[in-house]
Amino acid sequence: MKKISIRVLGCALLLAFGSCSDSLLDKDPISSFSANGFYKSASDAQAGVYGIYNSVQSTFRLNFAYWGEGRADAVQTNHAGDPFMLKQNGLTSIMTSSRWDNLYVMISRANYAIKYIPTVFEGDDSSLRNQLLGQSRALRALAYFYAVRVWGDVPLILEPYESINQELFVSVTNQETILNQIEEDLIFASANCAASYGGERNRVLITKGAADALLTQLYMWRKDYAKAIESADRVVGNSLYSLVSMSNWNDIFSAGLSNESIFEVGYNEVQTNALRVLYAIGSDSDYFPSESFRNSFEDGDLRKTKIYDITQAQPRKIWKFFGEGFNDESADPSANNIVLVRLADIMLLKAEAHANLNQADEALTLLNTIRRRAGLDALDAQSATALYGDLVSAILHERSIELCFEGHRWFDLVRTGRAIQVMGPINGLSDVRNLVWPLHEDAINRNPSLSQNEFYR
Amino acid sequence: MSVTINLTHPRSNRIRILESLIFLLLFGLLWIQPVFAQTKSISGKVIDLDTGQPVLGVNIFVKGTTNGTSSGEGGQYTLSGVSTGNILTFSILGYASQEITVGAQQTINVSLQSSTNSIEEMVVVGYGRQKKRNLTGSVVSVGSEEIDKTALQDPISILQGRAAGVQVTSNSGAPGGEMTIRVRGNSSLNSGNNPLFVVDGIPIESNSISSLNGSENFGLNPLADLNPTDIASIEVLKDAASTAIYGSRAANGVVMITTKRGAAGKPEVTMNVTTGLSELSRKLSVLNATQYRQLILDSYTNLGTTEEPYFTIIDSLNPMNNGDVDWQEELMRTAAQYKVDFAVRGGNQNTKYAWSSSYLDQDGVILNSNYKRITSRLNVDFNISDKLTVGQSVSFTNGTNNRINAGGVGNLSVIRELLVRPPIMSMYLPDGSLNGYSLGRRNPVGIALYATHLNKSNRLIGSQYVEYAILPELKFRSNLNFDYISMKEDEFMPSILDYREGYNTGAVRSSGNLTWGNESYFSYNKTVDQVHNFGALLGLSFQKWRFDRTGLDGMFFPSDDIRTLNAAGVISNQGINVASEHAMLSYFGRFSYDYQSKYLAEFNLRADGSSRFGRDQRFGYFPSASVGWRFSEESGLDGLGFLDDGKLRFSAGMTGNEAIGDYTSQGEFSLGSNYLDFSGAAPTVMPNAGLTWETTTQYNAGLDMAFLANRLSLTVDLYLKNTKDLLYNVPIPNTTGFNYITQNIGTIQNRGAEFLVTSKNLVGKFGWNSNLNISLNRNKVTSLPENLLTNGYIQNGNFHILQEGLPIGVFYGWEFDGVYARDEDNVNGVTHGALGPVFEGGDPIWRDLNGDNIINQDDRQIIGYAEPKFFGGISNDFSYKNFSLNVFFQFSYGNEIYSEINHQRNSVVRYNNLSTDALSRWREQGDITNFPKPVRDDPKQSDSRVQSRWVEDGSYIKLKNVNLRYSFAPDLVKRIGLYRLDAFVTASNLITWTKYTGFDPDVNSYSGLRVGVDEGSYPQSRTFIFGLNIGL
Repeated sequence: MKKISIRVLGCALLLAFGSCSDSLLDKDPISSFSANGFYKSASDAQAGVYGIYNSVQSTFRLNFAYWGEGRADAVQTNHAGDPFMLKQNGLTSIMTSSRWDNLYVMISRANYAIKYIPTVFEGDDSSLRNQLLGQSRALRALAYFYAVRVWGDVPLILEPYESINQELFVSVTNQETILNQIEEDLIFASANCAASYGGERNRVLITKGAADALLTQLYMWRKDYAKAIESADRVVGNSLYSLVSMSNWNDIFSAGLSNESIFEVGYNEVQTNALRVLYAIGSDSDYFPSESFRNSFEDGDLRKTKIYDITQAQPRKIWKFFGEGFNDESADPSANNIVLVRLADIMLLKAEAHANLNQADEALTLLNTIRRRAGLDALDAQSATALYGDLVSAILHERSIELCFEGHRWFDLVRTGRAIQVMGPINGLSDVRNLVWPLHEDAINRNPSLSQNEFYR
Repeated sequence: MSVTINLTHPRSNRIRILESLIFLLLFGLLWIQPVFAQTKSISGKVIDLDTGQPVLGVNIFVKGTTNGTSSGEGGQYTLSGVSTGNILTFSILGYASQEITVGAQQTINVSLQSSTNSIEEMVVVGYGRQKKRNLTGSVVSVGSEEIDKTALQDPISILQGRAAGVQVTSNSGAPGGEMTIRVRGNSSLNSGNNPLFVVDGIPIESNSISSLNGSENFGLNPLADLNPTDIASIEVLKDAASTAIYGSRAANGVVMITTKRGAAGKPEVTMNVTTGLSELSRKLSVLNATQYRQLILDSYTNLGTTEEPYFTIIDSLNPMNNGDVDWQEELMRTAAQYKVDFAVRGGNQNTKYAWSSSYLDQDGVILNSNYKRITSRLNVDFNISDKLTVGQSVSFTNGTNNRINAGGVGNLSVIRELLVRPPIMSMYLPDGSLNGYSLGRRNPVGIALYATHLNKSNRLIGSQYVEYAILPELKFRSNLNFDYISMKEDEFMPSILDYREGYNTGAVRSSGNLTWGNESYFSYNKTVDQVHNFGALLGLSFQKWRFDRTGLDGMFFPSDDIRTLNAAGVISNQGINVASEHAMLSYFGRFSYDYQSKYLAEFNLRADGSSRFGRDQRFGYFPSASVGWRFSEESGLDGLGFLDDGKLRFSAGMTGNEAIGDYTSQGEFSLGSNYLDFSGAAPTVMPNAGLTWETTTQYNAGLDMAFLANRLSLTVDLYLKNTKDLLYNVPIPNTTGFNYITQNIGTIQNRGAEFLVTSKNLVGKFGWNSNLNISLNRNKVTSLPENLLTNGYIQNGNFHILQEGLPIGVFYGWEFDGVYARDEDNVNGVTHGALGPVFEGGDPIWRDLNGDNIINQDDRQIIGYAEPKFFGGISNDFSYKNFSLNVFFQFSYGNEIYSEINHQRNSVVRYNNLSTDALSRWREQGDITNFPKPVRDDPKQSDSRVQSRWVEDGSYIKLKNVNLRYSFAPDLVKRIGLYRLDAFVTASNLITWTKYTGFDPDVNSYSGLRVGVDEGSYPQSRTFIFGLNIGL
């Protein structure tokens, strides 16, 4: 009996003391990685880049419309909150669209990728390495391009945050410096992204063509028309892209992945966006076509019935993104991709650049290609001037119809200096300092180095 | 060849014990006869000194040995193996123990002094037991007698109102639903505020691990895995002197649950059968179809639109909106419940066992909600030799919870929908099919009946110990313990509840949570010169946790009938496969001394290391000290002769809180940030290598007194808790790409008082005992870092702020001052925002705090406090002949509730139906009312503001429990072959007196810091239960 006692006791003591060492307390994450422990292989680098795209989804699911359309003339709203405040030019520092959080999540993930991708490849000539770096830098540029256009000067952060000892409270950088950085990133992307990844990935990932298209948008924002034409030429000459026929025009948005698409943010049944709530719910969407927009169509424009339900006395349903006849009362999220850049956009930007350089023929050729597809007569310099005042205005009008509700109109008005002229009569916009958004109060509260944009102080 | 078996050979004894063990494990029923020789047999009867009634179940032992028995029917006992000169101890919970030295006699009759709720009890403390009389800390105890009166199905609800200093609120009235428990207030901001739960010495998992909670913000109650009938006592350790021995997990108090064990003696076989009915305790009034239509039309008119919504039209084209349905009536039911449990407890001097099992089948008051639980337990103790004891406790629980989506927002919530769903929505379409989806809303009856929300869990909790007496005074004990929860959850939303043809979604999760560890310690107890009592404890422990979860989400199942994920047309998420680990290593010690139980002192120290903290910050040290002075024993205080007992206690000490994410200090790069079908990864948690514990320093002063021959006793405790280095998710600039970093910041203070009065008002034939406890807690955030504050506070969720000098749980918003009767009553032209519209007749009058005639963020102020001024319970026990009656009230005073559900019930957002209060709404210029005009898509955002209109007085007093019991006379019972038969009726939540207008003021829809918000959770039900306790 005694023997057993001692044996049992011995086992118990062994168990108690044998397993007790400090290494017991070393626990590494199992199904995730510690913040500094992720990038180890090429597939990690690939996953890190897809992680950036993941944040692109959340950035644009709603805001592509608030930022690009909410303050402009094509939309009208009955809805309180952001739609009402933007439309009435009553922007506040508590609006959803004043938040830049998602853009900086994109930037942070891109900064991690840009810092760590080179560490997992030997040498610097791997094509995978270069196209991953290219995509990361293009996405960072995309985020900063929106940030500058929405808020003006913003903090410029190019390194990932990995320690509490880094400078957290960064103040703003002049937007010209940021635009230079965007240009540098996009030029790198244009040189390094793959020309084609094959299949649907050519539309939902940043290709060389997508980088060129974004460069065109950037140069147009900076009024650098010669460079805009240069980069747009590369896009127009890219065999990946061609205009779809008018009968398939809605499919660009409802089905996605069309030949006209240059970069669209991919969504699906699980990773969803707010398109339906923004535009499509018959009785209750955020936005419906404004009266001035409805009246701005030329007779015979085939796009009109594809854009909204013209049978309603007070048209409510925007069909552009879901197809003609779409009728749904559900406020559920949508699975459509959101097209950020497409060929028609770049062709019209190129036309505008030519027009600004007094190259009317080149401009008209491009403009008329788009017009003819819509069933409209070709314009010449005279008829364009007669109808719209000048050629640039004619092109901008064409953009307002062709690209309506896609998130371009407000930026077009601002970069061409027409925002006050167009919106003043509608909502009293009168001060150039009012063209940017206020910083969200949360951003200012979190960072004492920031101050509110001048107009909103 | 012959085989001889020598029965005294150790080997054969070993075989015998092994056989017994196997036998016990298999059948649990075997009762082994004593195998040792007898010297003398003593028998007798144990009675209650006050009533003369026999006392059953008294533990009778030869002191210093394990030879013992317990009293059976009629209080009779027989104990063999007793020698002259031995000391017999008689002990049972609720009575003062007695010791009697055996002389020449064969019969010893004993009268025990009842000590229910007095200071004579034994209580369970960390790593041991202690006489409550000698406590220097603050411990509150609830015994099995109390538990049996409740007919409740989980140990946390039992503590509600019965334990001073312990605040329990219901997150959900659903069977098996989660509860919130706070010991002496909230002492943490971001990390856990739950106490540590220790069952039979094993720290167990007390946080819900369920992940498919629908739109509810909480899970299931992991403590519901314990069958209350198995519980002998629940002790709550409150002050630092009692809790410091549990170190870094003890800052929120420790709840010690002790299960019943066997005692030597004739086996006690008990069977309890209960059956009952529950119903909704309160129905709320809502508009009918006609009233609703007019309201919606008004809300359109008030926006200034001439349109009419199509769905208010009554015609054959609109059949889905031509109903007049009382949704509460359709969704609520009278629910049945049934429970049976069966136990055998007994043993001999070498082997003691307690075997039990139970089955519970409980319907909820909402259609189709149901909870089934099977529990099984075996506790055994073996004396291997004079010095060595080994034992095992093991319990198994199988739970099946058919949940419904009760809480939360959106069109999946059943509770909200049953109140705000438009009555015009018909239940069925003309073709007889369910009207599953219209106007963006799912049919809640459809959700309850056809959606799956099933949670199945299996849980094994066990411990094995060896205890070895190295010397009579020095013992070594080692426990090996484990707690494993395996949970499978299924969710399915069928396409009949969706507007899209064939659109259905399903999800499955499988989780495993293992906690295991070892605790080993030496304990030493020595009395010198019969007056100096020394005690010491020294030990170490390790504990490990591992959590695994795997799951899939799918959609487009070809049929609503096949709901397993193999049928899913699309697997929409296969990235759910996570695991995490956590470990602790601890050293602990205790030293105690008392002089004749008059002067008492105790010191504790624990050192805890946790893997959750940065490498340099891993170990924390948690000391405590306490002293006690029994002044009633002081010879100089003869003037206090009316005092039977009087003791002053003081304690001070430190405890910690390590409840943060397993890897927070290391930062996290997570997988699952996918883009379409491409797997993605992203940084999600920013590292902070300097993270360390939250530390709580607590001071406690207590006074215990007993008067009038111990018939009146009083316990008072005052405490002060300061918590520093709060783990808080500090917001940082979003330009970093992160929302926050977890840092140690700020301090919180809790101070309070607890009063416990027990009184035997009447003794004898008609007995009447009363018990009153009242707790006061004042919580205050004492410091927050300057750089975190916006206008002097931190916004904490939608409804609350955190501010220095104020408690956690203050509501912050706009003050509602009524309704403008006419446009011109807004004499100052107050506007909504600087550029927004002017308030008109029918709009709410918001208090313009800064007088700038603009209602904006700057006009918010504190509009309510969730913290009660005091809370507690009053219990009265009456006994007369064979009848006993327990009447228990529970109360809370001075707390306010932010009724988010009333907000939903009074605003036209999403075409909600409104309460009948809306009948008094503003309709035309000149109307004087407190109910503003309904405006669809109100540009002035009148409904969506956090506002004082939804803050209500949440004080209440509730007749929580009434238990009437009849014990049949023993001789009568004996005639039908039983030794005990009690019949009882219990009514729960019988009446609630309150001004609160929601379902129930006992509500806390959110856990954590979002206290006192009623988001519309599963309502409490009124329950009537009939039961029998049978002793075989």
